[in-house]
Amino acid sequence: MSRIKRFFRTYKPFTRAGMQEMVAYRANFICHLIGEILSAFIMYFVWKAVFLSSDSETFMGFTMEDMVVFLFITFLTGYMTYSDGSFAVGEEIIEGSIAMRMIRPCSFEMSFLFHELGDRIVSVAMIFVPMVAGVEIYRYAVSGEVRFQIGCFLLYIVSLFLAYMISFYFNVCYGFMAFFFKNLWGTTLIKETLVSFLSGAIIPLAFLPSGLAAVLNILPFASLSYTPVMIYMGMYSTSQILWSFGLQIFWLIVMFGLTKLIWRSAVKHLAIQGG
Amino acid sequence: MENMIYAENLRKEFKKIIKEPGLKGSVKALFKPKKEIITAVDDISFTVPKGEILGFIGPNGAGKSTVIKMLTGILMPTSGMCRINGQIPQKDRKNYVREIGVVFGQRTQLWWDLALRETYAVLKEIYQVPDEQYRKRMAFLNEVLELDDFITSPVRTLSLGQRMRADIAASLLHSPKVLFLDEPTIGLDVVVKENIRNAIRKINEEEGTTVILTTHDLADIEFLCERIVMIDKGKKVFDGSLSGLKHNFGDVRTLEFELVNAPDFKLLDYQRRFRLTEDEISAERDGVMAKVRFDTAKVSVEDVVSYTLQTVHVKDLNIKDVEIEEIIKRLYRREVSL
Amino acid sequence: MRRYLRLHRIFIAQYLKRLMEYKVDFLLGAIGLLITQAFQILFIGIIFSQIPTLIGYTFSQILFIYGFSLIAKSLDHLFTDNLWMVGYRIVRKGEFDKYLTRPINTLYHVIAENFCVDAFGEMLTCILLLSYSIPQLDMPFHWYTIPLALVVVVFATLIYASLKIMTSAIAFWTKASGHITHMLYMANDFAKYPVSIYNKAVQVIITYVIPFAFTAYFPASYFMTGENPLFCIGGTVVAGTVMFAIALFVWNRGLKAYESAGS
Repeated sequence: MSRIKRFFRTYKPFTRAGMQEMVAYRANFICHLIGEILSAFIMYFVWKAVFLSSDSETFMGFTMEDMVVFLFITFLTGYMTYSDGSFAVGEEIIEGSIAMRMIRPCSFEMSFLFHELGDRIVSVAMIFVPMVAGVEIYRYAVSGEVRFQIGCFLLYIVSLFLAYMISFYFNVCYGFMAFFFKNLWGTTLIKETLVSFLSGAIIPLAFLPSGLAAVLNILPFASLSYTPVMIYMGMYSTSQILWSFGLQIFWLIVMFGLTKLIWRSAVKHLAIQGG
Repeated sequence: MENMIYAENLRKEFKKIIKEPGLKGSVKALFKPKKEIITAVDDISFTVPKGEILGFIGPNGAGKSTVIKMLTGILMPTSGMCRINGQIPQKDRKNYVREIGVVFGQRTQLWWDLALRETYAVLKEIYQVPDEQYRKRMAFLNEVLELDDFITSPVRTLSLGQRMRADIAASLLHSPKVLFLDEPTIGLDVVVKENIRNAIRKINEEEGTTVILTTHDLADIEFLCERIVMIDKGKKVFDGSLSGLKHNFGDVRTLEFELVNAPDFKLLDYQRRFRLTEDEISAERDGVMAKVRFDTAKVSVEDVVSYTLQTVHVKDLNIKDVEIEEIIKRLYRREVSL
Repeated sequence: MRRYLRLHRIFIAQYLKRLMEYKVDFLLGAIGLLITQAFQILFIGIIFSQIPTLIGYTFSQILFIYGFSLIAKSLDHLFTDNLWMVGYRIVRKGEFDKYLTRPINTLYHVIAENFCVDAFGEMLTCILLLSYSIPQLDMPFHWYTIPLALVVVVFATLIYASLKIMTSAIAFWTKASGHITHMLYMANDFAKYPVSIYNKAVQVIITYVIPFAFTAYFPASYFMTGENPLFCIGGTVVAGTVMFAIALFVWNRGLKAYESAGS
């Protein structure tokens, strides 16, 4: 018990710092958010046009209402699971300060994780709550009935948390690429585009050819976005939800293991090459 | 002699938002940002004759850089005016900056990823230096600043001293009439500092370039400047020669003695021995070191050394130079009005 | 003017030398932009697999508008990318001092100092889309079509550049403004689709406030139909000119307010 207490006491300052930064840079952050969310609005108009141009009430199984929920919950999920780990790791490698991490008494990725959690705590109040409320008000206005399901929402939160953890470790792994590239801008762009496609954030996986969709559903990327979004929308049956949670946990363990493995070989590399 | 630089009642105010520390402070700043006007430069006037090297000194945050930035046309004065080389910097900036060179010691103006000579090739175009003149100029700068060893290396690989030489050369490529050097020796080791000082002197002597330099190192001033302007908290507190400054504020030296036997320190009583006040001479102990600070106008270095050697066993001794901070400290203690 | 052209050649030459040092990074950047666009187009393809037309526009027409929107965007991206740095870093870190001590126009200097060849990723997409869609569209073609297209490209690029100039100049007052640039710049994605898919409010904004509609949809629809040249082409010229005038005004006012950094 006291170990856990000590653990949280060690990392609490990081969370606090993360929260403070978020508040201090709120104007920047809100501008950035507005810029990003515009693309969801563009997609909203595109879908509206699509449904106007179509005779059917549904598009490959999605109604307009589903599409809106999909767009905005996907945006929210993408935002909440976004992790800067790759940038932080890359920066430290390029500056050579990563070697310092080996002599600190606290774990590298833990201090970073708790820092980011601080940021997310503020985000919950600033974005998460308003956006979920907005989506639900829209659904109510369109359908005339309350569609919000507390069960789905709670399962979504669990899935979202797992998705964030996978994203975090995935990005830390990716950050180690800085050992090979001087500048991660290009590779980061490629990574982010690929991930958002593979995770079903650009195009719902259900719209893709079924063979491809099945493969993408198993890969870790679906666990980052598509899985939590589908759970929120109530598209998954109980067995599908259990299966997805299992898959998410599996990928989390894989990513965690991979991080440890790379970190160990990086330490070795640093010990031999010296920074 | 005609004046190259002429500054009258220069004043610069900045608005600053004050943030209290901590999360609470951040939240507070969100709703009610507190603003405060800070006067960085407060009615400063001075003139610099053509061909002079003027040392601009003062503690950190005194407003030295702000004055330089107004003189170079980077900042608009809140009030007051300056005229350099017959021009008002802010009026026709593009025309004005052709005649000046600027070096900010903390920041390079060289292209980071390119070989050094590429920077010069670009600057040649920017300043429209004719080919023939450019060749001659590079040869001259090469001789003075010894650029040849590293002119083909990418700037990011240069040492700090090389970079500073390269930056000074960059500021001189277009043969400016006035050279502004903001901390040109900061962070450099003694030998490199020496090189840079020689180069500045040589350029001043051969081309009659007027130079304004800010520095923390009094040795720069002693070697280069006939005249100094000292500012503190945005106000001019002294304008005159270095010997005048020392005369006014006392030439304070610090001697450090490494004692063989540290407790011997209490045997030393300088104030009583020389019949001086604590202000004029004082000593403190730091481990085995005895540090003695004194005013050379009241007691000579020789007397202090011989008294110390007679009184205690000394392993080693070390003379420290006058520090500008020390002079300023004294200025306040004595409350001298100028 | 001659002098600035000469300077530009020198800046480009220097840039290419730097490029050679980091070729892999730049190549990856271009590939990144290319696949970003490719997924968007795949998405449009999936939509059209289910519906024949999107509120009256055929697949080829949509691709043409999309491709057209990338012309100005990629050119702006190639030539004025350094403006982002003004808002994100250059002013905040006091690096702008350097430009003020040089005898050339500050705005020109900042822009010319850097290029962004990553933009070739977008350019390639643009060329592919236009060369696929143009033969499928029965577009009116006259002797003046190409000169007119060139005029449009210049002014459309100016709209992009001006938006970046004015928003990055805000940093002269606030120290950092990259996020404001980002917020408004992102609205460019609205230009990729016909404006008629948007509601009235959005249409007014992208036509008269942040006139991105003039970088793509309006001129593209003129080239497709030959209708409304005065509004579609004239509008682009006017929008580009007005935006640029405002941008220069804001930039010059900003220079006066610039407070440098440090002590």
